[in-house]
Amino acid sequence: MNLNEYRMAFAAVSLILILLATVPTLNLVLSFPSGSAQFSEFWVLGPNHVMADYPFNVQLNKPYQVFVGVRNRMDSTLHYLIYVKFRNQTQPLPDPLNSVPSSLPPLYEYHAYVKDEGTWETPLAFSILSASRTGTSASVSDISINDVVFSVNSSTIWDTERNGFRYEIFLELWLYNATLMSFQYHNRFVGFWLNMTSGSA
Amino acid sequence: MSVPKVSCILLIFVFAASSLFLVAAVSGFSESEATLASNDADGTVASAYTATLKAEKAGANVSDLLTRLDEAGEFLAQANMAYRSGDFDGAIRAANLARSIGEEVQNAADSLEVLARGESQQRLLFTLLGSIASVVLIVLGSFWGWRVFKRRYHERVLKMKPEVASNES
Repeated sequence: MNLNEYRMAFAAVSLILILLATVPTLNLVLSFPSGSAQFSEFWVLGPNHVMADYPFNVQLNKPYQVFVGVRNRMDSTLHYLIYVKFRNQTQPLPDPLNSVPSSLPPLYEYHAYVKDEGTWETPLAFSILSASRTGTSASVSDISINDVVFSVNSSTIWDTERNGFRYEIFLELWLYNATLMSFQYHNRFVGFWLNMTSGSA
Repeated sequence: MSVPKVSCILLIFVFAASSLFLVAAVSGFSESEATLASNDADGTVASAYTATLKAEKAGANVSDLLTRLDEAGEFLAQANMAYRSGDFDGAIRAANLARSIGEEVQNAADSLEVLARGESQQRLLFTLLGSIASVVLIVLGSFWGWRVFKRRYHERVLKMKPEVASNES
């Protein structure tokens, strides 16, 4: 190795040390994007906190419980709004292809402020308070969600394929847009079916 | 007009006014008042949320504020549900609670943001000074090291004895 090569090696080592010395400052001044995909997880779990044993054959005035959860992977703290809706087999669900929420009115609603990588979970307790059955049609008048009573007045006909009077409780996830200062549908929804056959007459 | 007459009229006026207030308080609120209260609460809580985001961006720990915002969110939900069911009194009550928590959170978030910005600027200054001092030390150290190395290199070269290679061919 001649002197010139030693000089180059000295300069290279010095430059590396200078770069290392400036890293803490660069870290404070520059912000780097995380590079990972941004999304929200949204789920409903059964009463045992697993994806099983969802209430299905429901009876009048009997309390049932599931758990609703959201996980924020959107790189910032967010304000979520969750609408709980109730429908019969023919009423519309949200349209995931066009990001359009269901046109049904919300019954219950939750507001959740979730930090990035944070999880929010809460129970959803419900009970069918008033329902009637005449021949091949059934009607649900009142439903209680987390001790708040809602009048739904929703009727359905006997489902010959699946043998039951079927209803669905579904939840839509909305997100607060601070720029537009309003909530926007986040194109996520989950739900579970109820069969009103037993004890609803 | 005599003094007793004036006092009597005044007394009747006060009685009538207080009755009116009492009737207004008992009869409940209208839909428009509930809408106003609900919108007001929505706006205040939204501002509190934005202020919390700013404080978080400035480096503040906003966990407590988010807990309070969750409480405000519960009242907002109650207000909206009560409004949809036509319970305007309940809607206004819940909206007012949400608004008061929102105001509290906003004030706390603003103070936290100022504190966090101060701390962050101080941290940036210390880190910057540290980096500058390190760079200066590295540059000076490199020059000094290079000079020492070069001198020793030359000394070593000068101390080398020339070797005579035989050429037997």
